[in-house]
Amino acid sequence: MTILIQQLITSVSVGGLYAVLAVGYALIYSVFDFTNFAFGGVMMVSAFSGYYISNAGFGTIPAMIVAILTGIVVSIAVELFAYRPMRKRNAKRLFLMISAMGVNIFLTNLYLSLFGANLRTLSSGFISNTVSIMNVQIGAVDIAAFLTSVVALAILSFFLYKTRPGITVRASAIDVSTAGLMGINVNRVSLIVFAISGITAAIAGMFFGMKYTVYPGMGAMSTKAFIASVIGGLGSLPGAVLGGFLLGILETLVTGYISATYRDIFSFGTMIIILMFMPNGLIGKGDQSKL
Amino acid sequence: MYIASVVVTICVNIVAVIGLALLTGYTGMFSLGHAGFMCIGAYVAVLLNKYFIVPYVFALILGGFASVLVSLIIGYPTLRNKLRGDYFAICMLGFGTVVRLILNNMNNPITNGALGITNIPKLTTLWSALLFMLVLVYFMWNFVNSQYGKNCVAIQQQEVAAEMMGVSIVRTKLLSLAISAFYCAVSGGILGFWLQYIAPATFSDTRSNDFLATLVTGGINSITGPLLASVFLTTMLEYLRFFANWRLVVYGLLFILIMRFLPEGIMGYKEFSLKNTIKFFKEFSQNKVKIMEKWMRFCAKLTKKTNNKERKL
Repeated sequence: MTILIQQLITSVSVGGLYAVLAVGYALIYSVFDFTNFAFGGVMMVSAFSGYYISNAGFGTIPAMIVAILTGIVVSIAVELFAYRPMRKRNAKRLFLMISAMGVNIFLTNLYLSLFGANLRTLSSGFISNTVSIMNVQIGAVDIAAFLTSVVALAILSFFLYKTRPGITVRASAIDVSTAGLMGINVNRVSLIVFAISGITAAIAGMFFGMKYTVYPGMGAMSTKAFIASVIGGLGSLPGAVLGGFLLGILETLVTGYISATYRDIFSFGTMIIILMFMPNGLIGKGDQSKL
Repeated sequence: MYIASVVVTICVNIVAVIGLALLTGYTGMFSLGHAGFMCIGAYVAVLLNKYFIVPYVFALILGGFASVLVSLIIGYPTLRNKLRGDYFAICMLGFGTVVRLILNNMNNPITNGALGITNIPKLTTLWSALLFMLVLVYFMWNFVNSQYGKNCVAIQQQEVAAEMMGVSIVRTKLLSLAISAFYCAVSGGILGFWLQYIAPATFSDTRSNDFLATLVTGGINSITGPLLASVFLTTMLEYLRFFANWRLVVYGLLFILIMRFLPEGIMGYKEFSLKNTIKFFKEFSQNKVKIMEKWMRFCAKLTKKTNNKERKL
């Protein structure tokens, strides 16, 4: 019983991180209608800068702040350099996706060549601590990850639903060109959206680095987040959160009770089964395009 | 022997890239996991040959059909209902990973887990690889220029309009997926019988990315473009062995820059033809100055146009 509870708590903390990442995907998808495959690269880069700051002896909180700043800067740089010129030309979605893939390959292999492929442990003050509640041992990192992701999601939803820039983002999500006609500065919206996705990538990257390790290929983790957002329904924020938690729980239970090597098969299999019966994800809206 | 091996590698790449060209270039779907099809094709062909003594050519073709079967199983749920291409891209990425994972963890004496199959008879020769490449390219050329190929292009250009004109979207997409899976599987088989050794790691994600890079460089709406690009990139890689990891950095940059400045790739919608090239060189030698002037004017016009555009935006 205690093992099950421990598993569930781990799964909720992993799920929270997946949810944060998936929201980053879903936000960009909802506004610009394409999948930002460069997300994993951004996550890796910010985890790396967090790692170097915390290694230099500055502690976890400054490392987190630097990681978030790096995430914002890299994410916006990618948007300005790679995506915006293409959107201006009305490039096809396919071209945007290939470009995003290019950014991901570029960042991953740049870091691989510059820093080497070895695994680095991101040490933090509280990583080794465990909290014991009624015979259940819980890693402090799990609690921190869960709390941080819940807080981040709460702040994000407050921002999107209660503030003025948030409303412009939601309006652009419904229809970018009409929002532009209504006097919303779409270029500023794109900066906001990419900054938010950079923040989510950095938070998830730091906690994945603390739970596991930091290495150039860690961006592959974001594929899971994309699966989560597909399960929930592409482009829907509540769907992304739901999908993130579901996927986290599923993965941890499979790892704990079946086999760690076959974990990925279960996640991809679940996605395909869900797409078979619910082609728009769990709470995604139908794609009523044009007709 | 070394040159033969380079030529066979080029042939393998050409077959796989041409298959991907139909899917990504002509039908407009983005795949990150075609190495998975290659893997299935290679394993099925090699195992059939080893344990059931199926002759070389039939083993390759049967491997191709095994891949086609798998592609239909993956393709149906992801391609129906006019779903966006993103579902498909991520499913293919997952597919490639899953194939490699399963083969890596199947510890039996037949597939031998992560160690792979060794002692495969060397059935691919330089000439058989070249022959296969030419025949498959010829088939693809005919397919692309047929009614089916035009349906694919119609879907890539305007999905809704294509459906209005009576093109069955799901069926056409499935068909092009199946054909590209077949091509990749055959190329995997050729590679397996040439290297005499296959392992799951032979068909890593890097290979899928390589195909995509070749395709994008060559121009995603032509057959000859990717063909020339795979010849060029493969020979270049041989010269750049020392470059190792930086190769992929360059690939990434190449993707971004090509999409930014030359989204249709080198060849774009055009095909390479001998006639036009000869004509071009003849004209070029006859009036070099004139053509240079024309080219300069063209360049000036181009820069002016983009400047105007940017100012407007």
